[in-house]
Amino acid sequence: MAEDSDLVQIINGCKAGKAESFEKLIDIYAKRCYGYFCRLTGSQTTADDLLSELFVKLVGKINSYKGGSFESWLFKIASNVFHDCLRQKQQQAKLAEVRKKQVEREIKGAKKSTDERVDELQIQLEKLDGDTKEVIMLRFYSQLSFKEIARMRAEPIGTTLAKVHRGLKKLRKLME
Amino acid sequence: MNFQDQENLKALFGKFISAEEAENALEDIQKGEQILCEHPAPEPSSELIASIKGETAKVLRGRQANAFRRAVYRTAAVAAAFIVAAVVGVNLFEKGSARSERLISQAIWESDNIAADDTNLATLIAEAEQLEGEMMALQLGETGGNGHRDLLELEMELVEIDSEFWKG
Repeated sequence: MAEDSDLVQIINGCKAGKAESFEKLIDIYAKRCYGYFCRLTGSQTTADDLLSELFVKLVGKINSYKGGSFESWLFKIASNVFHDCLRQKQQQAKLAEVRKKQVEREIKGAKKSTDERVDELQIQLEKLDGDTKEVIMLRFYSQLSFKEIARMRAEPIGTTLAKVHRGLKKLRKLME
Repeated sequence: MNFQDQENLKALFGKFISAEEAENALEDIQKGEQILCEHPAPEPSSELIASIKGETAKVLRGRQANAFRRAVYRTAAVAAAFIVAAVVGVNLFEKGSARSERLISQAIWESDNIAADDTNLATLIAEAEQLEGEMMALQLGETGGNGHRDLLELEMELVEIDSEFWKG
């Protein structure tokens, strides 16, 4: 992970429109953001698209970052990108009633293309409810504190703690 | 994973549940996160990273070109406004001078004999002189007859000439 001063320099470079600064930012955060998208969607193909969308969006939004936790700001955008994708797929599902069940499976990541690796963890993660899975992934990949996650999700810290605790406890049992 | 939070999770849980429950909750979280660490998610391929870098660079170039175009348009608009203002200003100044010249021509302005330069003015002056003579004659009783009535008629004629002259 980049030191704070390095990160500030990189962000300033991004704000100045330097392509190499964006490249550095991509190098630092692509892996974590990709993991976040992969675990949430259960699809590498969708994660590819979302990761690309996230960084392109970042080019337009970087000037709106006014300091504070960059991870919190970045993962807030990542979360919005994921929810936009979810909404889009739900709209598609409404339009194509016949394919509804199939699309829902795609959203949940149950449908996998043959070239995608599905690990045990992903299978068990699908058994958690969407919100719990999301908060666990947010905590794990953004590495934010519970306070920051609670603030980002606009919910009491007790709720965030309880969701993560219950979710991880259930996941642990499922994985045993 | 190296979490950013330096918060004491045990103390944080302690605010909501008993100390013993907090201890168990902390253990559940740590073991759960351990499972996540042991099962890493797929990583983005180098092709994907290269493609994203290319795409962001393309978007950046587009934005920079747009910014440059906007700056050029803004400068052009300011320059055009300045030129229009300058042209309008110069025209107004020139028209102002021309109008004053047309109102009173240079020749008339500098002439000592206005009656000779303007025929209308010469006619008016001749009529006025004729009327002046007639009035003098009437006042002196040279015409004979009803002097008072003649004087009234003459005054009416004078008023008529005066109004017609100003009508043009």
